[in-house]
Amino acid sequence: MTELHPLRVVLAKVGLDGHDRGIKIVARALRDAGMQVIYAGLWLTPEAVVRTVAEEDADWLGLSLLSGAHMTLVPRVLQLLREAGLEHVGVIVGGIIPENDIPKLLEMGVARVFGPGTPLPEIVSFLREHSGAGHA
Amino acid sequence: MLETLLERFRRHDRLALARLLSLVARGEQVEEILAGVGEPGSGAVSVPRGLARVVAVTGSGGVGKSTLIGKLIEPIRAQKQSVAVLACDPQSPLSGGALLGDRFRMPARPDDDGVFIRSLAAAGGYGALAEHLVDLIRLLEAFGFDVILIETVGAGQGDTVVRELVDVLVLLLQPETGDDLQWEKAGLLEVADVIVIHKADLPGAERVEAQVRATLALGTGSDVPVLRVSSRTGDGIPELWQTIAARPLRRRRQQSGRDLLRLAQQTLAARFAAAEAAGQSDLRQLLAAWQQGEISSAQAVSALVRFLANELET
Repeated sequence: MTELHPLRVVLAKVGLDGHDRGIKIVARALRDAGMQVIYAGLWLTPEAVVRTVAEEDADWLGLSLLSGAHMTLVPRVLQLLREAGLEHVGVIVGGIIPENDIPKLLEMGVARVFGPGTPLPEIVSFLREHSGAGHA
Repeated sequence: MLETLLERFRRHDRLALARLLSLVARGEQVEEILAGVGEPGSGAVSVPRGLARVVAVTGSGGVGKSTLIGKLIEPIRAQKQSVAVLACDPQSPLSGGALLGDRFRMPARPDDDGVFIRSLAAAGGYGALAEHLVDLIRLLEAFGFDVILIETVGAGQGDTVVRELVDVLVLLLQPETGDDLQWEKAGLLEVADVIVIHKADLPGAERVEAQVRATLALGTGSDVPVLRVSSRTGDGIPELWQTIAARPLRRRRQQSGRDLLRLAQQTLAARFAAAEAAGQSDLRQLLAAWQQGEISSAQAVSALVRFLANELET
């Protein structure tokens, strides 16, 4: 890839969790930073999220969880991504994640966990800095 | 790199399709990609023949395009036809960013390989996208989808460009959409092949339908179907798909001349490359004769065309 192209980011909520304020604010911030944000919506199964990442040729997947089910759902998504041949897609997690769980998620392969109160530019610059060459 | 992708595409790899769609949407390596997917005799995928039914859904923002497309997937799948959706949303002229929020209104069918949904950012309305839309359609056709549904960015006016690229253009209207003078404006009703009064469960649907029918009746020889559909209740969805499926394939009718030539050119170019790579003696002799001036260019061209035509048959 020679030309710069905008990052494609899928944002999704998995499981029974209707709190979508945070993910919508992140969607807006990434859009304003010039990224192509695919908002996949609420109440998705891990299978549906991975299918979306595949069809959209995403560079990143952002999962938002405020339900407390992250230690079940996030590893499931990571496993399905690997099975689908999508290990090159970076995964970030946002929402209510207890301090003790963060190292475990990182060890599983999550690139970064962003808790409440994260300044939006921090997410933008993280995605930019940790994306491969060729991205705008 | 591209060769590997094309090889995977021909083996029906959905990730390869997704990546090739990205490249084509950005206008990168389009010629190579189309030549690669269109190469004949490569097994699962043959020359893109324009066999898919390509349907565009247009209408103003909020009229329910995504929702309706999501609903249409059901009758299409019930007929055992595969379907690809290209959902377009506008791209910010300021940041270049886009919020692509169409697919979350469509049902997630993670186990169904007969459905493929892809979101696209359309820069500056259509201009840039329409340019690549025809190539994106060819890519999806080559992959073998029976139906391709395109959700436009939702201008509703100025869709003439898209109309030329698709078989059926469906225009969505909803109750309380301006007075009857709106329908007289150019470029809205006149480009539609099927008109849907959407959200027909809301009051006022009959009135809009009557206005639209009255306007159409003033024109000459209009056979544009007008249907009332509610995605909320599901009323009219099967009838809408029947109507769309019964429309003539405009694209294929228009395709006959120039597109057939383009396909023939691609096929001949692929044959030439293969014969050259294989060091075909007939081709080498022909080239040598031409280079040494033993035969004129006109003679060489006829001989080459005959040679390549025979190559095709063997």
